[in-house]
Amino acid sequence: MFKGLLTTLKEWAGKPVTIQYPEEKRPVRTRFKGRHVLKRYENGLEKCIGCSLCAAACPADAIFVEAAENTDEERYSPGERYARVYEINMLRCIFCGFCEDACPTEAIVLGDNYELSFTDRHQSIYTKEMLLEPVPEGGKPTPQQTPPGVYVRAVPAMQDPQD
Amino acid sequence: MANEVTLTIDGKTVRVPQGTLIVDAAKKIGIDVPVFCYHPKMEPVGMCRMCLVEVGRPVMDRATNQPVLEADGTPRIAFGAKLETACTTPVSEGMVVITQNQKVASARREVLEFLLTSHPLDCPICDKGGECPLQNLTMGYGPAESRFLFEEKMHLAKHVPLGELIYLDRERCIQCARCVRFQKDLVDDPVIGFYQRGRSLEIVTYSEPGFDSYFSGNTTDICPVGALTTADFRFGARPWELKPVASICTHCPVGCNLTFNVRREAASGGKLVIKRAMPRQNELVNEIWICDKGRFAYHFVESPQRLTQPLVRKNGELVPASWEEALEAAAQGLKQAGENLVVLAGGRLSNEDLFNLRKLADAQRGKAILYTHMGGGDLTQQVGLTPGSNLGSLGKGDAVLVIAADLHEEAPIWWMRLKAAAERGAVLVVAGARPTRLERYAAKVMRYRYGEELNIIQSLMDGAVPELSQAENLVVFYGAEGLDLLGTNALAQACATLLYRSGHYGRPNNGLVGVWKEGNAQGAWDMGFHTVGNYTRTLSEAAAVLIAAADPAGDDPLLAQALDRAGFVVVQELFLTETARRADVVFPAQSFAEREGTFTSGERRVQRFYPVIYPVPDCRADFVITAQVARKLGHALEMASPAKVFLQIASEISHYQGLTYPRLAEVEEQWPPVGRSDLYYGGTAYDNRQGMGVALPALCQQQGWQLPMFWNDRLPERTFELAAMNQQGMVWLVPFNRLYDRGTTVKPSQLLEKRMVSAHIALHPETARAVGLSGVEKVQVEGLDGPLPLVLDETLPQGVAFYPRSAGVPALAPRGVKLHAVKAEVQEG
Amino acid sequence: MNELLQTYPEEVKQILAKYPAEYKRSAVMPLLYLAQRKEGYVPRQALEDIAEILEITPTEVASIVGFYTLYYDQPAGRYRIQVCTDLPCALRGADRFLEELCQRLGIREGETTPDGLFTVEAVKCLAACHRAPVFQVQGDGEIEYHENQTVELTLAWMEQVREKVRAEKEAQS
Repeated sequence: MFKGLLTTLKEWAGKPVTIQYPEEKRPVRTRFKGRHVLKRYENGLEKCIGCSLCAAACPADAIFVEAAENTDEERYSPGERYARVYEINMLRCIFCGFCEDACPTEAIVLGDNYELSFTDRHQSIYTKEMLLEPVPEGGKPTPQQTPPGVYVRAVPAMQDPQD
Repeated sequence: MANEVTLTIDGKTVRVPQGTLIVDAAKKIGIDVPVFCYHPKMEPVGMCRMCLVEVGRPVMDRATNQPVLEADGTPRIAFGAKLETACTTPVSEGMVVITQNQKVASARREVLEFLLTSHPLDCPICDKGGECPLQNLTMGYGPAESRFLFEEKMHLAKHVPLGELIYLDRERCIQCARCVRFQKDLVDDPVIGFYQRGRSLEIVTYSEPGFDSYFSGNTTDICPVGALTTADFRFGARPWELKPVASICTHCPVGCNLTFNVRREAASGGKLVIKRAMPRQNELVNEIWICDKGRFAYHFVESPQRLTQPLVRKNGELVPASWEEALEAAAQGLKQAGENLVVLAGGRLSNEDLFNLRKLADAQRGKAILYTHMGGGDLTQQVGLTPGSNLGSLGKGDAVLVIAADLHEEAPIWWMRLKAAAERGAVLVVAGARPTRLERYAAKVMRYRYGEELNIIQSLMDGAVPELSQAENLVVFYGAEGLDLLGTNALAQACATLLYRSGHYGRPNNGLVGVWKEGNAQGAWDMGFHTVGNYTRTLSEAAAVLIAAADPAGDDPLLAQALDRAGFVVVQELFLTETARRADVVFPAQSFAEREGTFTSGERRVQRFYPVIYPVPDCRADFVITAQVARKLGHALEMASPAKVFLQIASEISHYQGLTYPRLAEVEEQWPPVGRSDLYYGGTAYDNRQGMGVALPALCQQQGWQLPMFWNDRLPERTFELAAMNQQGMVWLVPFNRLYDRGTTVKPSQLLEKRMVSAHIALHPETARAVGLSGVEKVQVEGLDGPLPLVLDETLPQGVAFYPRSAGVPALAPRGVKLHAVKAEVQEG
Repeated sequence: MNELLQTYPEEVKQILAKYPAEYKRSAVMPLLYLAQRKEGYVPRQALEDIAEILEITPTEVASIVGFYTLYYDQPAGRYRIQVCTDLPCALRGADRFLEELCQRLGIREGETTPDGLFTVEAVKCLAACHRAPVFQVQGDGEIEYHENQTVELTLAWMEQVREKVRAEKEAQS
């Protein structure tokens, strides 16, 4: 009995493992797969081109994409196509990361956020506005007005596809 | 058969007709030879070099002309030093073809490496991605890596609108010329062409409007890459996300088989919507093509202007009502009218709707009238085309007569098939009062003045064109241009007489075909509808009128007045038309895309269409509405399902006997294969798995010649006197058809807006002078509202005024009128 | 309406007379030469005009302009100096000749001199390798070969042409 009590006393004197969540948050591991983030380029344009390959790759059928056409007056992403609607049903998502692998523009990334809670099913559908990362410093929000003939490539040239 | 040759492909022996190309022979035994530029519907050109195969031929002894044999007794085969193109090489006796070996594989790999040198890497955003021959063949035969430098890829314009319907991406083009050849060879609209050569080759159009062809959409189906895409589908969805549903085009009597691609759309609140219309293969009807009207003018079914609830007139106003209320009101009104009921239906309704409408009319002892100005449907039942007919099989020794119709505008796919028949050697005779596009391929063009159509038939009976009267088979297409109901009736009778006297009836590829304005006008005749000469009187004298899918009030102010005089008016419609505005009760109907049913084409093929999208809430199918009204009146009509109504049709209407929905859904093997795993071969048109329909027998086959002889001797010279009319200062006002009109079912497709014809009056300059309208910009047609712009055109016949049908000129059938000049309005300020 | 027909009624008639009526589309090439006689290139309107005369589509006419290198769709100088730079010519110094000529004229290949008289272009084989550097001059409806060229020779010839054009202008005014 004293032996057991000794363990208790030892732990009592040591540093506690619990933290004051949600005030405090524990850092996640580098390969942690949390809620998705839709990335932007430095100038604020969205990386997502609405190709729907993530939806095709998704084993849980959690992603829904609807595309539309960019114009220079109203540009969301480089190239001709952008995602007008981008929704992920977080109740369905199994956080496998296939969408990240399928993405040709590295637009969708599984981030660090693990705080997914909702009180009804509708809230589990994350829309494009919720998923998009904030506009980086120096960038402009989308849609942007852009000079003609500049953003003609949807898929960035990747010299080495191994990158 | 004597004209067959035997050859061996990859060790399999096959017998095919002489002249078959290696690529087709291989396909027939299930061996795939990859192609890009070759298309089974077009002449080969051998441009892409993808189909290279190794070909060996037996060595012949020059002295004896016998094959040289090896020691083991097999013929010695000499293989060429180089590979040959399977798409341009016809088969020969004893040929040995190898499509799978190291040499062929490396040739394919290298051809693909070249094709991909400047092909962009934008499959993720390409509309073709997922149904792309280049993508598929690269996966199957291509190199994983390119030896070319990435920086040296050519960068070309990616967004080049060839007109407002078709977009070109110059980078993606692999210069196979399928589109250019389709436009030039198959539809004779060489409005796109190659510019420059070698690596700088590009597709251009110089027509106004750009890519000015009624068949332009087909080029996107056969394009083996995503270089040509339609504005309608642009970035609409990825192909693998779409669900295909079979349907039938309702815009003209050809009855082209369609496949609608549907998907749920967030922008439409999660509803199932049509993303694109694609051709569905039916080699007996539309082959693998559709016209641009069929492809782009389906948007009316999704129009926000659709009626969504029943309306009932209360205190002079149409107000929304419940179905029960509206049905009760309609039944009350019809009950009071008693036997003086007119049921007026348009030819875009399905057979099931029309059958129930006619049954209701019968039960009330009323009249069932088809809203049309074209007669002769009773004759096409008698001497129409018979089962086994196929316009695609007409050729040498056969003849076709087209009279009073402009098929290029009215039924483009018939135009295309008759042009092809003429090129195969069929004798095409085109008779018309004005030049039309079909005349270019005619063996004989016969010109007449309006009113003298019968004269042409008489002269043909007298042997004016011996090739026609002596032809093995004869098909007669008659239209209604410049003719009223009496005129078309007479013309149809004359055509039937012609067929009878030359014995061209009751066998396949012989008979009479009506070029109706609506898709299912033939079905309406079959369901027991009739026509009347004078709609004004019929409508104004009726105590009650039930109108379905027709807009007489919108077509003609005289009919609007007549409708106002009619007693009680019930309307079943998609939209709040002028007619619906005048009704006492309006029922919102379902469009053909929301339900099942059958249509009967002009060639008298009964075809099934399927529910494509979910019905607009609170709309009901026309046959259900009719049956529910009938039930209130104490008549039991079938309303459980269209299939059950069709069973009744089959049991009551003699030539529909034995037809059932499952029979209509039967398919047979078709050539060439399209739309399966080998999209590179025939394009993205859909394989037909939902039914090719059944051709109806002609009544004269079953019962012998039952028609009265309309004229024992000679036909009357003319149906009316154009010259006499002109002398009184009047002109014959003739509606002509344009493919892109502004009808109820076309107008909601805004993509076509720029190409839709606008209201005007067209005259020959001489005629304009004769009636005192030289130098006038606008004219007033007596009896019609509002002035119309005047256009002078020297190709038109004299003494006649033309206006485009369904384009806002409120008139229905041809008539004699006076024209007045309208003074230019003085602008204020 | 039809500008080409109005400008050259006789010439058009003569050209059409050479071909059977049912194959009159064959006249497209001589008509294109006619169309570019005045301005050295085929203007957009001429495509329509020729199409109308021959009853074919403007697109078909345009694809012929595009295919053949001696039809031009862009305006250029009155004289086109076309230097062959293929391998045998290059071995005899044609590419250096072209480079130097452009340098001396202060223009790049494909551009026109500021006075609007000369356009310098590189072309494929002129079939005169043995006398390279060689160029042909197109202008005033004529084609003329200049062989065994040096930059000095060419510049001297260009000066002569300038002189001639100046004299023409004076004679006119």
